[in-house]
Amino acid sequence: MSATPQQQSIGWAVAEATRLLQAGARLVCEFASSDGGAIKVHYILDVPGEGYRVLEETVNGALQSITPVTPAAAWYEREIKDQYGIELTGHPDPRPLLLHENWPRGLHPMVADAQSVPWADEHYDFLKVEGEGVCEVAVGPVHAGIIEPGHFRFSVVGDNVLYLELRHFYTHKGTEKLFQGTPVAYGQMIAESVSGDNCFAHAVAYCQAIEAAHSVVAPKQAQLVRLIGLELERMISHIADVGALSNDVAFVLPSAYCSRIKEDLMQASARAVGTRFWKGIAVPGGVVRDIAPAAAEVLSNAVAQAASEFAKIANTILDRPSVQGRFEGAGVLPGSVVEDLAVVGPVARASGANRDVRRDHPYGAYGELPIHVPCLAYGDVLARARVRIEEVVVSARLLADALGWLSSGPIRADVPPAVAFEGWSAVESPRGELLYWVKGEGGKLQRCSIKSPSFQNWPALPHAVIGNVIADFPLINKSFNLSYSGSDR
Amino acid sequence: MIFDVIHRSLKAPNRLVTVEELLGRAEGGRMPQVNAAKLTPEMARQACEVCPTAALAMAKPRDQELLCLDYGKCIGCGRCFEHAAFSPAERVAGCGGSRQELLRYFDCERGAEVEIRTSAPEACQEIFQLLGRALNIRELDAGSCNGCEAEIAALTNPYYDLERFGIHFVASPKHADMLLVTGPVTRNMAVAVKKTYEATPAPKLVVAVGACGCSGGIFAASHAVSGPLDKLLRVDAYIPGCPPTPAMLLTGILEVLRRTAKR
Repeated sequence: MSATPQQQSIGWAVAEATRLLQAGARLVCEFASSDGGAIKVHYILDVPGEGYRVLEETVNGALQSITPVTPAAAWYEREIKDQYGIELTGHPDPRPLLLHENWPRGLHPMVADAQSVPWADEHYDFLKVEGEGVCEVAVGPVHAGIIEPGHFRFSVVGDNVLYLELRHFYTHKGTEKLFQGTPVAYGQMIAESVSGDNCFAHAVAYCQAIEAAHSVVAPKQAQLVRLIGLELERMISHIADVGALSNDVAFVLPSAYCSRIKEDLMQASARAVGTRFWKGIAVPGGVVRDIAPAAAEVLSNAVAQAASEFAKIANTILDRPSVQGRFEGAGVLPGSVVEDLAVVGPVARASGANRDVRRDHPYGAYGELPIHVPCLAYGDVLARARVRIEEVVVSARLLADALGWLSSGPIRADVPPAVAFEGWSAVESPRGELLYWVKGEGGKLQRCSIKSPSFQNWPALPHAVIGNVIADFPLINKSFNLSYSGSDR
Repeated sequence: MIFDVIHRSLKAPNRLVTVEELLGRAEGGRMPQVNAAKLTPEMARQACEVCPTAALAMAKPRDQELLCLDYGKCIGCGRCFEHAAFSPAERVAGCGGSRQELLRYFDCERGAEVEIRTSAPEACQEIFQLLGRALNIRELDAGSCNGCEAEIAALTNPYYDLERFGIHFVASPKHADMLLVTGPVTRNMAVAVKKTYEATPAPKLVVAVGACGCSGGIFAASHAVSGPLDKLLRVDAYIPGCPPTPAMLLTGILEVLRRTAKR
């Protein structure tokens, strides 16, 4: 999809976005871009019955916040303020987001020379909960397991969580700035390093955005190879998640099983395409590596075996009364919060929001496949586990079909450098809707904005945690399985 | 039902990979190996040009210009595989060694490797002898993409089972003998990294993991990065890869121990 910029009176995009959101559209993302002088704000909305719509306009002075219309915009607008120095009007919480105390206020990395910036000592205010018996529990950024860093500030009375504030962006690597000036043919390498365990989804989203911007279509065979990589990544991610959930309620044996099934699939990937994570496979225009019949057989045997073993283990987990006792009713995320915060992915589908990019906005080879989208209403840890378990079954079926359809043929189309290009593309990553928006000229990128499902979903986590006992936090957090690096970028 | 699981697990084939099979292996990691005989000056120049992190670069360590392959910078993108002398490596030497040991030099005129280093895998027996005590590792994410974490976590699965060596991961740096650090050290993590190091009791080992840990990788030039790690702390050993495969990680960790015991 490539954009057709519309120009109208000042403030029209904000007004139009507000109108559409009030009429039931969902905010996909909001970001800014700069062409050296003027700064533009872009809104991407999912309009019911229509599809994705992009609105953009030049910001004149301060930016009218749409957070009062949709709280889902809160973090996006804070990020715009940090990165571009645009003041927000009407935003309920304009505190810095990605820039921590070490970064001098008033220096905005996307529009300034950000190299060799001196260390600053700024101040950040957490929200204070006051009252008799209220204690603060600070967790992180360094956590106890082999996991990513982030800070959680709980306000508790006894064991009960009254309030939870997230302070993230410890893994902020200035990724979107790194894209500036990068040749189109190298951008997917940066995209692959945004969220390591979903690296193929990021690479495909980037490549599809570049293809859309250059009006290039990847060959059929390349689309199938991509679908296989994406579904395998989803299976691996969900199997690992379910195992980790079991581990978090001290049911360790199935967790070891799941880690073994995951490893089987990764080794099959290494044998079939030479990489455990499908890194370096997707490139703008297609893929660099075909799946030969022998490799397809390796994958289809591994997938069939993993699916059947995982189904048994998943039943074992869900059948245990001790697991049910911990999963059921823990960390309920109400459907209303899902709508307000435009939550995506398995987390949204476990709380009744039936959306999946593969079915709603088909891309690549997905248009030809019927996609069953599991959806549950309860919104607790159990529902999130069950949605993932069912999605593994769906992915295994898609893989069986796609592996059977592989034939021979070109796997890479030429992407001729365009004088100026702009486009976007969304994929359903294991964590939910992932969108890349790219703009550039002469074969080089000027701006690449990433809508990461984790960035969208993190603000919903506190709503599922508040009211639970603090000891259930690791379990609830795991059931969301959000990426820190994917969100922090 | 639970007995079912235990019963099945007892019947299941043993998947444990022996240490001899693992040491030095790098399949699936997409690190390049160089067939020096096929190398020409023109090919070396082209490969340097396509390398996104300058892991391939012309260098002059002595009086002669050589092609330098720096595993510590390589992100395994596979661009150089388009040239005949480069292919995915089955083995990578130098895991768990010094930063210098991750460099290889090639004479493009003569088509030969210069200053060949070998780190021969040790016999399994010797490793067991050296691991007379338990090693506690604290994994520290200094801004990684989570790829290294996924592979480090895989070390505890039934294929690699790190615990068989008496090595395990601990929750607190206060219990740790070794910090296994991933990521380019983001500006926002720099203070936490220093505090974690200070909280780890001496004697302690610091191991930099992955292209980001070794050199900053693809993020080396970012304004939001303070690293690489050896700019902030004394680093004892390096494990390259993007991410390193479990076999590379295991090789690296065991190599650090082997050398430590010899000190």
